[in-house]
Amino acid sequence: MTSSAGMTKRAAPVLACIGLLVVWQVASLALKNDSFPTAIGAIRAIPDILGDKESLINILASLRRMTMGFGAAVLVSIPLGLLMGRSAAVAAFFNPLLMVIYPVPKAALMPIIMLWLGVGDITKTLVIFLGVSLPVIYHSFEGAKAVEEKMLWSGAAMGLSPMQRLVRIVLPAALPEILTGCRTGLVLALITMITSEMIARQSGAGNILFNALDMGQYDTVFAMIIIVGAMGICLDAIFERVRARLVRWSEPQFDMPLSFS
Amino acid sequence: MRVRQNGRGSNDAPHGCENDSLSGRLLAKLVPLNPRASGTEDGMTVLSARSSEWVRPVTQQGPASAIIEIDRVSQVFQTSARKDHVALSDISLRIEERAFVSILGPSGCGKSTLLYIVGGFVSPTSGAAKMKGQAIKGPGPDRGPVFQEFALFPWKTVLGNVMYGPRQQGIRAAEAEAQSRALIEMVGLKGYENFYPKELSGGMKQRVALARTLAYHPEVLLMDEPFGALDAHTRTRLQNDLLNIWERDRKTVLFVTHSVDEAVFLSDKVVMMSKSPGRIRQVIDIDLPRPRRRNELLLDTRYQKYVVDIERMFDESDDGGVPA
Repeated sequence: MTSSAGMTKRAAPVLACIGLLVVWQVASLALKNDSFPTAIGAIRAIPDILGDKESLINILASLRRMTMGFGAAVLVSIPLGLLMGRSAAVAAFFNPLLMVIYPVPKAALMPIIMLWLGVGDITKTLVIFLGVSLPVIYHSFEGAKAVEEKMLWSGAAMGLSPMQRLVRIVLPAALPEILTGCRTGLVLALITMITSEMIARQSGAGNILFNALDMGQYDTVFAMIIIVGAMGICLDAIFERVRARLVRWSEPQFDMPLSFS
Repeated sequence: MRVRQNGRGSNDAPHGCENDSLSGRLLAKLVPLNPRASGTEDGMTVLSARSSEWVRPVTQQGPASAIIEIDRVSQVFQTSARKDHVALSDISLRIEERAFVSILGPSGCGKSTLLYIVGGFVSPTSGAAKMKGQAIKGPGPDRGPVFQEFALFPWKTVLGNVMYGPRQQGIRAAEAEAQSRALIEMVGLKGYENFYPKELSGGMKQRVALARTLAYHPEVLLMDEPFGALDAHTRTRLQNDLLNIWERDRKTVLFVTHSVDEAVFLSDKVVMMSKSPGRIRQVIDIDLPRPRRRNELLLDTRYQKYVVDIERMFDESDDGGVPA
């Protein structure tokens, strides 16, 4: 019973993907539109892209910018969010600033940033940084705010200084919430990565996609969409594994207390 | 008559789990955990008293000195722009070294706030609290809190939680671990060292919280309704075990509760408080022999009289009524 349920659970995403491809194939055959290639045509174009050295360099460059933007954002946002969560003064200072920045699409800032910093790596990395920062700050802030006061008191009684309490109590206690923010941030990093390359067309996965679009190579366009989607799924799966390991102590399977006083 | 429990904390809690319960037995084989306390003459007498039928009223303990002095402490919370809530009004209290003192009162009488002031977690609006003559300015390892909410570190295992304090004080890992394992055994959780707090029941969590606080050898235990969130049965067991542990090395305990039975059963002294504003109504010495055993005490007319008298005093007051 459980093993068959597990099988179904594991097979479900694969079935969903196959189903999507079948619908795509049938729809494109029915529509007979040049700009809508068949699923098989798009999949056939994937090895061509991944086999091409230049394309591969472009994709790796994209990933590098994404990693740098994401990493820098996490390193800055987590401490800032935690400080905001524990200090009303810090929160009062940063909250209005963040509230102004939050609804602005980060890509909309790109033209200005391009004017200042050019169309190179720095501009794109900065846009990714901005895109990732806000959800991570927000979730770190919420996580830190929710830390039980008595837990901090217990730490204080053991002799932990305010700084130690922030790093050794607030950080681990808020970690599940922080990682939720990071997961959102990771997806946003991918989105802003492609968007930034769409605006500053110079290199990267987004550049391949839009060049192909300009040249009417529609199977390449759709192949790139599949590649970017697959990258997203893989990154998310890797992140989820790391996350599950780090916050094992808070997982629901542990949520069944023993019956012993 | 007494039901023996097997060494590991067992799930089936027997009905007769009186004073002779597991921690009581385990205590005997343990090394003294607090050299300061059990090295002294007094600590030794207490240990020997356990085995004999010789009883000794608390009042006959040598000259007791005040370890905590609360001097005209008031605490006012601003609830709205115009109205202030006086949580504590002009409280003065001396707590003697090695005494078990309960603060008893209805909800909202500020008894927890008083405890937080002694802990240094809250600063009083006026007045001062002193520990060994020094004004209390903030929390410190000389005063160890145990909260109703347990406040364990959920990302640490039972062992990790108990070791946290000793490690913070710079004790080497191996030594801290040995001490912590002994403490975990003492509170009856041997075998649960690698469990996470989420996997434990409320009673077990509170045992861990007690061990975690005892691990850094505070001179005073500050217990804030520690058994308030537990069911009646678990509560009784923990009271018995706490008493066993306490009668071993007699730390000073400040124990906040709203249960009259609990206060009388555990304490040398009961501080009765009334609410709005929070004031001390009366301080009652509980002159009952130690070591106390629940099954003997419940039949003891002196115990019964204390409980009835205190309940009557709460009844007579206009504000409170009997604390539940």
